[in-house]
Amino acid sequence: MSGTGTLALDLRDVAKTYKGKVHALRGVDMRVHGGEVFGLLGPNGAGKSTLVKILMTVIRPTRCEGTLLGSPVGEKATLARVGYLPEHHKFPGYLTGAQVLDFYGAMAGVARGTRKRRIGELLDLVGMSDWGKKRVGGYSKGMRQRVGVAQALMNDPDLVLLDEPTDGVDPVGRRDIRDIVVRMKDRGKAVFINSHLLSELEQVCDRVAILVQGMVAQQGTIDELTKDQQRYEIEFASEDGARVAQMLDEMDANGLPDSRVEGSRIRLSTVDAVAVQPMIDGLRARGVTIRSIRAMRPSLEDLFMVAVTDRETGRTLAPGAAKGGR
Amino acid sequence: MTQTWALLLDAYRELNSKKLFWITLILSAIVVLACGMAGINEKGITFLHWQFETPFFTTEIMSRANFYKMIFASMAIPIWLTWVATVLALVSTGGIFPDFIASGSIELTLSKPIGRWRLFLTKYGTGLLFAGLQVLVFSLASFLVIGVRGGSWEWGLFLAVPIVVVFFSYLFSICVLFGIVTKSTIASILLTLLMWFGISMMGAADGMLMMFRTQAEFRAEDGQKKVERLEKTLASQRAELADVEGAGGEAMSAEDREAKVASLTGRIGNTERSLAGAREDVTGGERAASQIEPWYKGVLAARTVLPKTGDTIGLLQRWLVDTSQLPGMNEDGPVDTGESLKNGQDPRVQKRIQEQVNKRPVWWVVGTSLGFEAVVLLGAGWMFARRDF
Repeated sequence: MSGTGTLALDLRDVAKTYKGKVHALRGVDMRVHGGEVFGLLGPNGAGKSTLVKILMTVIRPTRCEGTLLGSPVGEKATLARVGYLPEHHKFPGYLTGAQVLDFYGAMAGVARGTRKRRIGELLDLVGMSDWGKKRVGGYSKGMRQRVGVAQALMNDPDLVLLDEPTDGVDPVGRRDIRDIVVRMKDRGKAVFINSHLLSELEQVCDRVAILVQGMVAQQGTIDELTKDQQRYEIEFASEDGARVAQMLDEMDANGLPDSRVEGSRIRLSTVDAVAVQPMIDGLRARGVTIRSIRAMRPSLEDLFMVAVTDRETGRTLAPGAAKGGR
Repeated sequence: MTQTWALLLDAYRELNSKKLFWITLILSAIVVLACGMAGINEKGITFLHWQFETPFFTTEIMSRANFYKMIFASMAIPIWLTWVATVLALVSTGGIFPDFIASGSIELTLSKPIGRWRLFLTKYGTGLLFAGLQVLVFSLASFLVIGVRGGSWEWGLFLAVPIVVVFFSYLFSICVLFGIVTKSTIASILLTLLMWFGISMMGAADGMLMMFRTQAEFRAEDGQKKVERLEKTLASQRAELADVEGAGGEAMSAEDREAKVASLTGRIGNTERSLAGAREDVTGGERAASQIEPWYKGVLAARTVLPKTGDTIGLLQRWLVDTSQLPGMNEDGPVDTGESLKNGQDPRVQKRIQEQVNKRPVWWVVGTSLGFEAVVLLGAGWMFARRDF
């Protein structure tokens, strides 16, 4: 089992170029610690699934240095300690839910006795106990996803890679999957999640990386990534707009954080509550009615949108892998 | 071992879920039962309570056991097991690899701690299980029918299991290769059937060329014998003529002598014409045989590198049935009934062709075919092992 001090995943310079010089990955560096939940974000075609498939030996990398649970990436034996739920997975329709868990558990090298015990436990965990003896061909998408999560846990993995785990799952199912992820983390396991549902990730991830056109645009905790964009926002009565503008012109800028007025809001580029106090005092002294004062932190979606926006043109970067060049 | 058992169990579940597997098995049972309903007695052939009188198939000509062996080795195995059941087996198993490598399915298996080559070969082996189970059931049923109805317990029938599985494996390897290349079940089955047709055509071309060459050889050989016989006749006729014209004719009257000389001269002329014709047969036969020879060698060389489906199944007949016990055959080979000659089929040609076919060693029939299969599997396995899914 990987502890929080060790690296579950340590990737350096992972690259994948497909035929036709399509660069799906262009030198990805990434670290996932044991016992943390790591979220990988990115637009369609950014290379997220390619990266996960490289880790799971489904795709051969063009270049790859680094380790998975301490062993070189690509070493088959290590996969016995890794759980994986692929995106758009398809289980053979002739198997029942319990048989799916039994088959993939056996393929992961889990002994028969252990499999028997874990099948019941995991079906219960994902809320599929009543469906275990029914063929997966008749399951809904959400049910297949629940069984998929269960099969990824059959070998009690130290690292679980979940590719769009809540895809097609109803709100109750999404909460159940979040609970499972948190439980895995509490047991010291590392969880790596690929997802488009940014709000889902925000709720469970300790750290995230944003992949854009085959490269890591940003990586860190959500606090680290949003530090520069955190701010205070003071909302005032709209009829006081002229007085606020006059006050900002008159006030000495020394020691005050950068501020700008947008409608009936003043945005202050600081996370320091003390630095906001002179502004509040000034507004109150001029009789401005303050409706609210809020510490604002950008959402993961804000971060994502910044990452996928070209800073020079302000336009969203085209989806898909980069073609040509390096 | 846990993984291998899991794959085998999964293959069983997959086959079990495919209705075609059971349909083929039931049809096999019906074919065997139908064979069992046929019988032979001193008057001819029976089917259930119907009697079909024929002088060619009676218990006086062949034993009951040989009658059933002949039915199974000459009809049930080459027609049912080799063609119909094989096509059904290909249709059933053709989807194994395209389904296996389908997006969404292959990721789950490849992400497990098992090597790609082991996965590939185990999955390939499970495909052969289909054919193996089908033939085993068929052989067992045939064994019981011949034992109960014919009174002979033919353990040799179980040779059909390895032989038919080996035969099926040639085609299945091709199907697997096409399955991995095209990722389509229908395309892989159709291309395999096309390839099988091509292979069968090569086998047919081999048989035809062998027949033409053997006919030409016999023409030359027969011509040579005739030449030798006619040369002796000619020599004796010439000697007789010389004798009549010389001392031997002195005792004859002039008229008789003249008539004798004229008769001998005419016979010599006829013999000389026949001799010329016979020499023409020799040179014509030799020329035809030498013209056919390079084509025959070319086809044989091509067949050496291709799987020999027909010859492989032929091994079963070679080993299972004592051909001398079959009607129309004796220990020296086919009996000339006169009918075959009228049809232009010289029984000596058939016998020599059969001898040549039987002389082809098992390593050539099976060994080179397995070599082809190994190359095809290496290619398919290499693609499977190297491909990004």
